[in-house]
Amino acid sequence: MSALSNITAAAADYFPMLVRRPPPRFISESGKRVYGIVAEFSETTKVYHAAEMVRDAGYKKWDVHSPFPVHGMEHAMGVKPTKLPLLAVGAAVGGLSFAAFLQWITSAYLYPMVVQGKPYGAWEPFMPIMFELSVLFTAFACLFGMLALNGLPRFHHPLFGHERFYRISNDRFMIAIEAEDPNFDPDQIRALFEKAGGTDITIIEDED
Amino acid sequence: MSQIAANHPAPVETALPDQVWERRLTKIAADPRMTEDNIHARGVLGKFGLPLLFVGIAGLLLTVIGGFSMNVRHALAAYEVGAFTALSMSLGCLFFLLVFHSLNAGWVITCRRVFEHGAALLPFCWLALVPIVVIEVVNGGVLLEWVGGHGDDYLLKKKAPYLNTGFFIVRFLIYGAVWSFLGWRFISLSRRMDETGDRTLGRKARYTAGWGILLFALTTAFAAFDFLMSLDFRFFSTMWGVYFFASSALSGVSVVVLTLAALRLRGKLTGLVTEEHFHDLGKLVFAFTVFWAYIAFSQYFLIWYSNIPEETAWFVYRKSHGWHWLFVTLCVAHFLIPFLIVGWRAVKRNPVLLGTMALFLIVMTVLDMVWVIRPMVYVQTQPVLEAGLQEPGLSGIWLDAAGALGVLGIWGWLMIRRVESGPLLPTKDPMLHESMAHKNYV
Repeated sequence: MSALSNITAAAADYFPMLVRRPPPRFISESGKRVYGIVAEFSETTKVYHAAEMVRDAGYKKWDVHSPFPVHGMEHAMGVKPTKLPLLAVGAAVGGLSFAAFLQWITSAYLYPMVVQGKPYGAWEPFMPIMFELSVLFTAFACLFGMLALNGLPRFHHPLFGHERFYRISNDRFMIAIEAEDPNFDPDQIRALFEKAGGTDITIIEDED
Repeated sequence: MSQIAANHPAPVETALPDQVWERRLTKIAADPRMTEDNIHARGVLGKFGLPLLFVGIAGLLLTVIGGFSMNVRHALAAYEVGAFTALSMSLGCLFFLLVFHSLNAGWVITCRRVFEHGAALLPFCWLALVPIVVIEVVNGGVLLEWVGGHGDDYLLKKKAPYLNTGFFIVRFLIYGAVWSFLGWRFISLSRRMDETGDRTLGRKARYTAGWGILLFALTTAFAAFDFLMSLDFRFFSTMWGVYFFASSALSGVSVVVLTLAALRLRGKLTGLVTEEHFHDLGKLVFAFTVFWAYIAFSQYFLIWYSNIPEETAWFVYRKSHGWHWLFVTLCVAHFLIPFLIVGWRAVKRNPVLLGTMALFLIVMTVLDMVWVIRPMVYVQTQPVLEAGLQEPGLSGIWLDAAGALGVLGIWGWLMIRRVESGPLLPTKDPMLHESMAHKNYV
């Protein structure tokens, strides 16, 4: 859902001369682009149930930040299974057929040559290359597909400008709802976070 | 030095304090899933047991009849297909037990009793090989041409220090001793733990697994050399032991999955062997499907490339004498179909689908044994030419089916009897709570 916008955002980071960022949806009092709203939580159970509440309120572009992996958080957040396996299968089939084609066309069609008395285009010697190439293509598809879907790597993230954000590597949990979300409404979100037990609810500004 | 000794308790000591252990036992005893009805299967699988026994006895009788009416080579090969499939299933169960014990695996405890029952059938599997050895030795070599040492073949003379009847019998007795001991050891330790609650027995099992895994590897490989590779004494492949082991591990975990799926369908082990356990067992099924294909292809590939006559003869005979269909079948059905189906997460987590695939893979193991053993019956060697034997084709298939089903039927009947004989899981294992709460976080 957010894959394309992630890619666009990353492209705008790397090539600002080529890809222009979309205009801001919300502007803060100091005239800067609004990234979103964050709330802090002090316990795993609190942030877990808060995530369930944010999920049920229908928000799409938001994230939970935690110092350690919380089992079952993907269910609490309602994260859909990734599309990466489809990409991996496609790359595997592609690598397999590319290797088969490349070897067949060179050793059986374009330059047929007798090697060790084996028949032209025998499938046996093709197999290791077909295996290796499908593994290689799959590995590339997984790594770069994962980075593309995540929108990584990035030079900067607006949350880094928030002083208290650094505590999520120590003893705090945070939920951030982005201004890009179609349902973004600062007052409603503030009320939701307060109901869920969040503290230090802050609007995060983005450098423009 | 003393510090090291203090940190590594001897096999009879325990790392678990008594109070913790008592608390765990109370908690497990109070668990609603541990009811008498849920963890015992008396008479539940009986519906399958007696038909299997009947199929087994009828198959063995038909095999004996076929041995007299057709020829003894064919009957013996058909019997060997069944006997080696049964042996590979039991050895596979033993292999996983050795690995689980040496790695102190916690997730598998609720499924482990079925592995133990499979491995406990090793004495039967060994006894099933005794008729083969007796027939070979008494007749001076039926399928194993080198038994009795006749002929003045140069290669046979070179290989005589290993391939001779006396040493063969000694090796066969060693296999029997090792397999029977290891198979009996794990089930008896586990059952004794059920009765006495002595948690130090787990350490004894781990201790046994340490040296047992070495003996397992050697006996499996050499049994495969002795019975299967030496069907053609000119042929040799250093991959052969691994090839048989790959079949063993695959069919071993498959038969366990099949048993557990049947038990789950009959309403047993609910909440104890969950989709999480099936998921992990399914990963093992998938892994060893790929492993088998990898080993089988590597063996074929190197022989194809190096083109040494003693080696290629094995494949040339099969691929050009009417067995090519089996080659293609194994490529597609032993690897490609399970690879594509079991790779699926939803299949691994579904007991019915995974059980079906396990049954399918056991059938494929039988076909793999057919591929190894059966073409050697009518290979045009001197004794076959002298006796004027001809490949009967489809008209002899009843004998192949009878031989394979004969041994497998009795193996299945014994397995069901064992499974029904006691608790379906180790009830007082120190890691049982870990397995009962097992979950895959992916």
